Amino acid sequence: MKQHPLCTDPDNGPTIMDLPIAEGMKAEWAELETRRHFLGRAGKVLGWAALASLGGERMFTGDAHAANVVPSPESLRLPQFAPKAKRAIYLFMSGGPPQMDLLDYKPNLAKLYDKDIPDSVRGAQQLTGMTAGQARFPIAPSHWAFKQYGKSGTWVSDLLPYTARMVDDLTIIRSTNTEAINHEPAIMLLNTGNMNAGKPCLGAWLSYGLGSMNDNLPTFMVLLSKLNTKENNQPVSSRLWSSGFLSSEYAGVGLRSAGDPVLYLSDPKGVDRDVRRKMLDAVNQINRQTYQELGDPETNSRISEYEMAYRMQASVPELTDMSHEPQSTWDLYGPDAKEPGTYAYNCLMARRMAERGVRFTQIYKRGWDVHADVTGLLPVLCQETDRATYALVTDLKQRGLLDDTLVIWGGEFGRTVYSQGGLTPDNYGRDHHPRCFTTWMTGGGVRPGISYGETDEYSYNVIKDPVPVRDFNATLLHCLGIDHNKLTYKFQGLDQKLTGTTPASVVTRLLA
Amino acid sequence: MMIRFRSPGVKVIWAASLLVSIGLLLLPFVFRLDGKPHADWQQFLGRFHPLVVHLPVGLILLVPVLEFAGRVRPALLEAAMFVLSLSLLSCVLALSLGYLLAYGSGDAGAGVSRHMWGGIALTIAVLGCVLVRGAAGGVRGFYPYLLASVMLLLAWTAHQGGSLTHGDKYLTEYLPRPLKRIGGMGTVQAKAFDFPDSFYARHLYPIFDANCLVCHGTQKVKGGLRMDTYDRLMRGGKEGAVIIPGKPERSILLERITLPADHKKFMPSEGKPPLKAEEIAWIRAWIQQGASEEVKSLAGIDVPEPFREEPVPQVGDYRKLMGEITQTAKSAGVTLVPVSKNLGDGLILNTVNAGPKFGDAQLAGLVRFAPYIVEAELGRTSVTDGSFATLGKFGHLRALHLEETSVTGAGLANLAQLPQLTYLNLSGTQVTQASIAPLTSMKNLRHVYLYNTPAQPASAERQTP
Repeated sequence: MKQHPLCTDPDNGPTIMDLPIAEGMKAEWAELETRRHFLGRAGKVLGWAALASLGGERMFTGDAHAANVVPSPESLRLPQFAPKAKRAIYLFMSGGPPQMDLLDYKPNLAKLYDKDIPDSVRGAQQLTGMTAGQARFPIAPSHWAFKQYGKSGTWVSDLLPYTARMVDDLTIIRSTNTEAINHEPAIMLLNTGNMNAGKPCLGAWLSYGLGSMNDNLPTFMVLLSKLNTKENNQPVSSRLWSSGFLSSEYAGVGLRSAGDPVLYLSDPKGVDRDVRRKMLDAVNQINRQTYQELGDPETNSRISEYEMAYRMQASVPELTDMSHEPQSTWDLYGPDAKEPGTYAYNCLMARRMAERGVRFTQIYKRGWDVHADVTGLLPVLCQETDRATYALVTDLKQRGLLDDTLVIWGGEFGRTVYSQGGLTPDNYGRDHHPRCFTTWMTGGGVRPGISYGETDEYSYNVIKDPVPVRDFNATLLHCLGIDHNKLTYKFQGLDQKLTGTTPASVVTRLLA
Repeated sequence: MMIRFRSPGVKVIWAASLLVSIGLLLLPFVFRLDGKPHADWQQFLGRFHPLVVHLPVGLILLVPVLEFAGRVRPALLEAAMFVLSLSLLSCVLALSLGYLLAYGSGDAGAGVSRHMWGGIALTIAVLGCVLVRGAAGGVRGFYPYLLASVMLLLAWTAHQGGSLTHGDKYLTEYLPRPLKRIGGMGTVQAKAFDFPDSFYARHLYPIFDANCLVCHGTQKVKGGLRMDTYDRLMRGGKEGAVIIPGKPERSILLERITLPADHKKFMPSEGKPPLKAEEIAWIRAWIQQGASEEVKSLAGIDVPEPFREEPVPQVGDYRKLMGEITQTAKSAGVTLVPVSKNLGDGLILNTVNAGPKFGDAQLAGLVRFAPYIVEAELGRTSVTDGSFATLGKFGHLRALHLEETSVTGAGLANLAQLPQLTYLNLSGTQVTQASIAPLTSMKNLRHVYLYNTPAQPASAERQTP
């Protein structure tokens, strides 16, 4: 093979990394080279050709903007404007809480018990396989009474006595709606803006865009709550806190709900901190060599992850040591908070992380998938979450953290007003319902004490101010000082963003 | 220049033209536009005015084109005279139909009057053109000047007509801002209200402005009703009052806007979009609750305030100091993070990585950069009361975190020098009610956190519902 004139010695010639070209292009080259590595090292000459095609016009026109295809977080220059919230805590109610049993009060339903939902309301709505075969769609009014609370006079179900006490702090959205009717696509859509796995989630975008506030803790942490085996626990997986095509250092770091919060956090017997440090230095050196050889950015991610793990060995024990929490904490969060892995414990942990500069914490509480036995399950779910949620918001508020922390509560969709399976005066089931569901936010950036959007009298369709998922996410980003149209990453030929390609807009009436 | 009559027949034509002109000028005084509708057939024919009116516009514009082109191709000069005559005919037709429209439908108002007089003057001027050109036998003497005036008159009259149908801001609404400034339109004062904070001024007038004033304002006054001021609105139109305070069900205005959209009397008429349910609810509630000009809010009506980002106070340009700032911060183990990409939003002092290693001395080392620091996160550091004197020099601070530090509040009075401070977190410190007393004089300080301190007010809230 004839050698390229610039590359007389394929093994010791100059590498592309030595060239005075834009950093962004080098990074893109590096990604490409990983693929090239697959073809073996003989491809170096091929590599030059590849670079030429990659650089193409850009290389010679010197168009700095076009060359900067893989922006570093610093070059993003975020936030774009002074944010109201520096950090966020997302209480994810996985499974789909039934809005009409909790926060979307529908007084007329009681009269319609066991009547069929009118076809005009249901329209051409796609149903899940679980109820599509039902002969009837009988209306199941909520089993629980609602009362008005706070200065805002917000109607709240008797299931949520604690949430009821903070309604004047909440920004309730009754008109959230999604396009997906099953758990996995719906929960992916909420988290990543796309029903298919592979896109970065909200937390990854935030770590990428805003960076870390604390060198010793991950920027994005995920807390899974213990399972209650009575409940219908839909699985959640690390796809939901994945960084997608962003570097894996932006992915969420999960704390385990049982045992050690982080596996192998403590050094084994006989290995002290010094030994660990020396070992890591050696491993890092090898990794750096690998990076120089192959240029895969994921190698650098690995180095930074090892370093983070090392620092977490010191920071996590302090984070999880709750022995200095005053009695008032336990009075507030309730007895569950003492047991690691419970939702209440996680809420307390989220507050401690907020204090320590964790940018984004996401707590998953599973079990809201109440296809049957609503009257049996909902009281348990609400008992597990209501007090702790209230405690978290109240605790943030009394400690002065709620001013710049955005708290978000919600699931991936709502539930049907008609009963799945048999309807009896004492019990009913509810199927998935994407057309409307209730979420709320509170804290930095959102307007407290309002209810936004309206659903029809069946809590079936949004009749006023719909908030699709993309607008919901655009609004969250806005609170954190990010224009959702400008936090993008070029991948597969598209400027990818959390809100996707359908134009999204910030719901300004939710903002403070 | 003298005009010589070539034959007695021409004299007759001139005399007749003079009579027609006088007749046109007298027309508005004979059939006054009194704001009352007249015969339906008049309106039927009159509604062809907006169609026919484009004929004279096009034809008149063609005349100077032909006159110029005629210099090259003389045949076009002949055509010019022909087109000019057609213009005159179409002017007369458009004027007649326009008059029928205004008279028949009872349109009146300053805009209608201006358009009418423009139309009359234009017709007479075109007539003049025909006569003068005929007499002069070509583009000579007085004729070019007269034709130029016709052009100006045409532009003005057509603009008046356009303002009637589209509203007078239609043309300039989307004019680029710099041009607006040149045209002096950027400084147009907002409408002056006697009670600018009232519900009427803030929420109802904008609805009327957007939906009603085209026909019930200064330009046109349909049905004798003007809605451009509160007094005129309450005075009503030819059917009497349209708003009866306290009685929405008897108020014609509400009745008209709530009719079925295809009803003959539905408002806004002529296919304009109906008012939103929310807007109708506001109007109903306003009438129900007295239709006052002054009342600021209405029971049961919650109007969301339009969203508006509060401007953040700006700091100076610190780009030249950037190297020093980074260096100093690094040696203290802290970071100074920009609030946003806008330099003027300032820097946040973040000490979380230094923790207890950050103390009074390190803070003092950052005083140089105080003019650029808008938020200091000193929670869980080892700063003491000794730092309050230093912090007094951080004149741009908006937020100060001192939670979980050992401060007791001695020296807190220094913070009174921070005019922009809105947030102060003293949770978990040893401050007392006495030591925080100086804070009461700070007017901008809206958020003070005293959780878990001796100064914490006794909590009335129980922990169980």
